[in-house]
Amino acid sequence: MSRSAHRSRSALRLSRLALVAAALLGSVGTACAQTVVSMWVHAGAGPEAKAYSEAVAAFNQSHKDVRIDLVRLPEGSYNDQVNAAALAHKLPCLLDFDGPNVYNYAWTQKIIALDGFPELKRIAETEMLPSLRRQGTYNQQIYSLGQFDSGLALWGQRKWLKKIGARIPTQVGEAWTLAEFEDVLRKLKAAGVAFPLDMKLNYGMGEWFTYGFSPIVQSLGGDLIDRQSLKTAQGSLNGPEAVKALSLLQGWARSGWINPATRDDSDFIQGRSALSYVGHWVHADYRKALGDDLVLIPMPKFGTRAVTGAGSWNFGISADCKAPREAAAVLAHLMSPEEIGRVTQANGAIPGTRTALARNRNYSAGGPLAIYAEQIQQGVALVRPATPAYPVITTAFSEAVNNVLAGSDPKKELDRAARRIDQAIKDNKGYPALR
Amino acid sequence: MSTSRSTPNARRLRWTPWLFAAPGLLLLTLFMAVPFGMAAVLSFTDQRLLTHAALPTEIVGWDNYLRLWEDDSFWAALGNNLRFVGVVVPLQTALALGLALLVNRKLRGSHLFRTVYFMPVATTMSVVAVIWSLMYSPDQGVINRLIGVLSFGSIGPQDWLRDPALVMPAVMLLSIWQGVGFQMLVFLAGLQAIPVDLYEAATLEGARPWQQFRWITLPLLRNTTIFVVVTTTIYAFQLFTQVQIIASSGAAAPVDSFRTLVMLMVHEGLRNGSIGYASALSVVFFGIVLAISMIQRLIIREEGGAA
Repeated sequence: MSRSAHRSRSALRLSRLALVAAALLGSVGTACAQTVVSMWVHAGAGPEAKAYSEAVAAFNQSHKDVRIDLVRLPEGSYNDQVNAAALAHKLPCLLDFDGPNVYNYAWTQKIIALDGFPELKRIAETEMLPSLRRQGTYNQQIYSLGQFDSGLALWGQRKWLKKIGARIPTQVGEAWTLAEFEDVLRKLKAAGVAFPLDMKLNYGMGEWFTYGFSPIVQSLGGDLIDRQSLKTAQGSLNGPEAVKALSLLQGWARSGWINPATRDDSDFIQGRSALSYVGHWVHADYRKALGDDLVLIPMPKFGTRAVTGAGSWNFGISADCKAPREAAAVLAHLMSPEEIGRVTQANGAIPGTRTALARNRNYSAGGPLAIYAEQIQQGVALVRPATPAYPVITTAFSEAVNNVLAGSDPKKELDRAARRIDQAIKDNKGYPALR
Repeated sequence: MSTSRSTPNARRLRWTPWLFAAPGLLLLTLFMAVPFGMAAVLSFTDQRLLTHAALPTEIVGWDNYLRLWEDDSFWAALGNNLRFVGVVVPLQTALALGLALLVNRKLRGSHLFRTVYFMPVATTMSVVAVIWSLMYSPDQGVINRLIGVLSFGSIGPQDWLRDPALVMPAVMLLSIWQGVGFQMLVFLAGLQAIPVDLYEAATLEGARPWQQFRWITLPLLRNTTIFVVVTTTIYAFQLFTQVQIIASSGAAAPVDSFRTLVMLMVHEGLRNGSIGYASALSVVFFGIVLAISMIQRLIIREEGGAA
């Protein structure tokens, strides 16, 4: 999921420093016989980036024979860089990528199946959350392991919600209906909140639009693609349910309830918005700014049932890797409860293994983030479709969302997105599996 | 060269120019001719960005070109390109000439102005685009404030980058601001090559400043102007950085209202992985730019004959 551009830029500077440091270290490292495992991560928010540096330092300190060479790349063009590196057969050993890309990477054999590594297979089968196992599985094999799952819901400011007399749901079962949700937005606007709902439109056209807004489509009964066959988007992406979903979004923009010109992450913190529709990754910043006034509200039931996104960035081992066994050892290290604890402490995500989840007090009953865990455990969370067509799907859908927010006709835009997805599926002959 | 000269010498003379040209020709072939030839060949295939063992690349004939004909994104992108070139080339050229005339005056501080006008050129386009996208912001942006003050508040804030009718003009404005300094410099060099005694003679004959400009400056700047117009046209067709940054910094206008051909190529080739289709786009794009450059040359030559 994308984050603000300025972070990516400062992260670029950091990653350049990291490159220089890596080059210097590399020349030293060749003196002693160490296996170097190159590793790429996307440069996320500050605390998350720091967690990865610390994880790598911890590994390097406790292992004499293997050394991780960490490179952080800016998130905005991360996928393009991975594609370019794959084309040149220069992928690092270990890399992270946004969840739903795993099927395309597995299909094009950029990454290898992890079933051959006993320690990883054990983690995947006995420890990892079922949602992450579903996300990492393609063709009945496990291809990626995730340290954490994502949570998508609403952050609210208690004082504003109390002021307008809104009911504040505290469990998944109590989620707002569409009518209640819109009523809250209307009242907040009337009470003087400039743009009641912050939807992180500053992230721009990209994965966030699909991750964040396809649950609205799914809640109303549509989907990105026909989930059964995975062969066509016609009917699911441009049916009346999906059209209604994007029409709702457009309506909120027209009513001034959301701000299409959102420039940065500050709307919610600075009180221009009273609700923030976003994932777990803002938790630390929001908590710091708002303290006890911050409340987590479950995903509303826009249609017949509540649906929220699931899956997040996860790790795979590339087919170009010269030392896959060492890379697997690094990955196992990253999947240890301690490392998962470290990164989820930093980004507020749902710990990806049972042990790590049980250790995290934020997610135990009554904890501030318990709703995220509930959403995953009660079947509200839906992983993105498991097809190699996903990169095309997300490009087409996020473009449609962008255009609809700018005023285009939802039906026309979704028809076009469905046509493009079907064209790509046809171009690739239905993405035949390799035998 | 007479035929009575000794043959080895003549042979050497015949080969010498080729020898000198060889490094350049080699590089041109390697980095221009070969890639273009590859694009032309790939445009008739269904080549993917990442090849897949179960799906060998196949020849698809004219399919990519037929799809392009039916692709409304292609027509929208072409329209955006033509509108951009149509406005930016004449405007930027005229503005550059105007600025060059101003900073060519022998006034105190004209060096300072030259530097100031040239500064945006030295700034990376991506930085310029990010800063301007902040300036265009509807709530806190400086451009809306300025318009508000100048119009005494009668024109409210505009959402420059999200309004399909305003996004292209906004891109044009920032592109001209960024690029005009370079053309100004070229014109300045042209102006300083004009002998001063021509103006002195004209002043003695009683020619007014406008007449001097019309009958001395403009004709003697003819070659400079041709150079500026042709290069600006080609640069303008390659429009990519600004629009790509606008597309990825926050929700934007409908994509088809500002996506250019180069941006569409990148989206199709890199994002969607259809290299075959992107190649077809690049071949058509090449054809269009070539045709326009030829037309420009033709018109300029005719004028040259008449002069």
